[in-house]
Amino acid sequence: MQRKSMFLAVISMVAVVMFMAGCAGMTAKPTEKNFKAPTVTLSHVEVQTYWGWWFFSNKIKPAKGKAGNYGAPLDLAFIFEITNPNDFPVKMEKFQFTVGFEDFDVNTVLSNEAMWIPAGKTNQIRFHSIQDARQTQLSLLVTGGLKLKESGKSFWDMLEKWWTQIPDFSFPVHVRGGSAIFKADGVMKSVSFNYTFP
Amino acid sequence: MKQKQQWFKYVALFFIPALVLGVSAGVFAAEVKIGALNDVTGATSDVGKDYALGIAEAIQYVNDNGGVNGKPIKLYQFDYGYRIPEALTKYKLFKRLGAVAVLGWGTGDTEALSPTITKDKMPYVSASYSAHLTNPKKTPFNLFAATDYSTNARAAITAWFDTRWKKHPDYGKRKPKFVCSYHFAHPYCSAPIKAIKDQAQILGFEIGPDQNVSLVAIDAKSQVLAMKDYGADLVWHGNTTMSVSATVRDAFSLGLKADHIVNCWGFDENLPRLAGKAAEGVMGAPRCAFFGEDVKNMDKVVEYAKKYNPGVPLEKRLTHTVGAWANVMALWEAMNRADKAGDLTGEGILKKGFETLRNYDVGLGVAPLTYTPTDHRISGTVSIYEIKNGKFHVVERVDLKSRWPEKWEKEWLGW
Repeated sequence: MQRKSMFLAVISMVAVVMFMAGCAGMTAKPTEKNFKAPTVTLSHVEVQTYWGWWFFSNKIKPAKGKAGNYGAPLDLAFIFEITNPNDFPVKMEKFQFTVGFEDFDVNTVLSNEAMWIPAGKTNQIRFHSIQDARQTQLSLLVTGGLKLKESGKSFWDMLEKWWTQIPDFSFPVHVRGGSAIFKADGVMKSVSFNYTFP
Repeated sequence: MKQKQQWFKYVALFFIPALVLGVSAGVFAAEVKIGALNDVTGATSDVGKDYALGIAEAIQYVNDNGGVNGKPIKLYQFDYGYRIPEALTKYKLFKRLGAVAVLGWGTGDTEALSPTITKDKMPYVSASYSAHLTNPKKTPFNLFAATDYSTNARAAITAWFDTRWKKHPDYGKRKPKFVCSYHFAHPYCSAPIKAIKDQAQILGFEIGPDQNVSLVAIDAKSQVLAMKDYGADLVWHGNTTMSVSATVRDAFSLGLKADHIVNCWGFDENLPRLAGKAAEGVMGAPRCAFFGEDVKNMDKVVEYAKKYNPGVPLEKRLTHTVGAWANVMALWEAMNRADKAGDLTGEGILKKGFETLRNYDVGLGVAPLTYTPTDHRISGTVSIYEIKNGKFHVVERVDLKSRWPEKWEKEWLGW
């Protein structure tokens, strides 16, 4: 019985010591003043999956399924590094950026998934930008149609170039108007970023 | 010894639940889940991207201000590229995730989803302002915080008649000639056609042949020449900004003498930027204030745009951000009311939320909101603007409800 009591007393002591040590390790409360903005860096861009270049109009009879205006999908992965320079963990609540091919915006990536970044550490995160050639054709026309017209280029030429040359990244892929929202204990920091790859 | 054992038990009783509750507090925090469908890559991305930014910023504002009676909103926001099958797929995801309401986008997908959301009792607050969605007998769970396309079109053509045609040298001598320019195959563009032609007849217009202009048109010369051959005095445009600006530019360069009135998704800050001089005098019903305009609650819209999307310059933001805020503010109030009544369900949000709003003022240049169990048109008063020196100015506030009370009450609901 005495041994058991001793054992329980030691365990209690250890628990109390660990609890106190944990408290001692706690850092100052995040404030507007001490919250340093995390950094967002584009590591690289990958073609996640490649389906080549093709487009079928709705006049083509498919072997299966319904006819439609279908273009090759393009799945690009953007790998970012997010560094937390603070000595407390921060939560990233929102991440967003627009993807541009040359002078034209072709997609906007939105993410509202939360991610914690430990104090003083760097996390890597992969965001997918997925679109098909049909979608991009429409987007290109409604967001950059007049610019395209003035440049004398056809949207087919642009799409074919982008879809066939993307494995080599022979044209600039832009990350524009990027913003990430970080929070720590109710204090918020927003970070804006722009990159060009390669 | 017994005392020591007792002491240990008390310690364990205190620490273990504290530890468990501490770790899992985040897990148990109540969240209100909302789905959002947006077009940032498809045929309406010229206006859809700005609206999508506005939705996210407005939800941040709601969460910063207590969420739904203390419960934060978890937003699931997706791009569906203006493709109806994608919208249907994402809607199924929202249901699986336990969303209590959806902030939707286009007319095609909103009308396609309408029977499903009615069956599911899912409040669906869309950026489609189609009048087809305003009759609760047919579409009880479809809502939006704006005057509908048909009401806007009726008001715009009436304002043109009042302010321009009455000053025309031919006023009283002949009928004004009117044509519609829009993408026939798109439900958004064609939704108010029946209503605007009806209004044209009420006002004594002669109606010419419709012109099919693609939603992604960057050249509309042949259609403009057809309008010119007809001798149009007024053209209604039902497309989005890029296509409307291409048409207005071609009309200017080809010497079409007609005036232009535009539906809300083609009448934004980009129109004078893209169409330049050709946009001078163009009239429209933007359904809410322009970005940065001096109206109630605009300070919050601008503050959150700066705060949450610092990478997007303010001068590139549009009235569609404001429209997104209006929808979120209306849904927020409806959810707060339903929650206070202890019924934060789809039916609760509709019956104890939206349908209890009477002249509820969200500011933002939106007409005060009233939804009744028999009528989801928020108001019969529409502000009509025109572009002067590249800026937007109110030319007339048309009160359709007072001007044609019987038609408003008995004829015009739902189309």
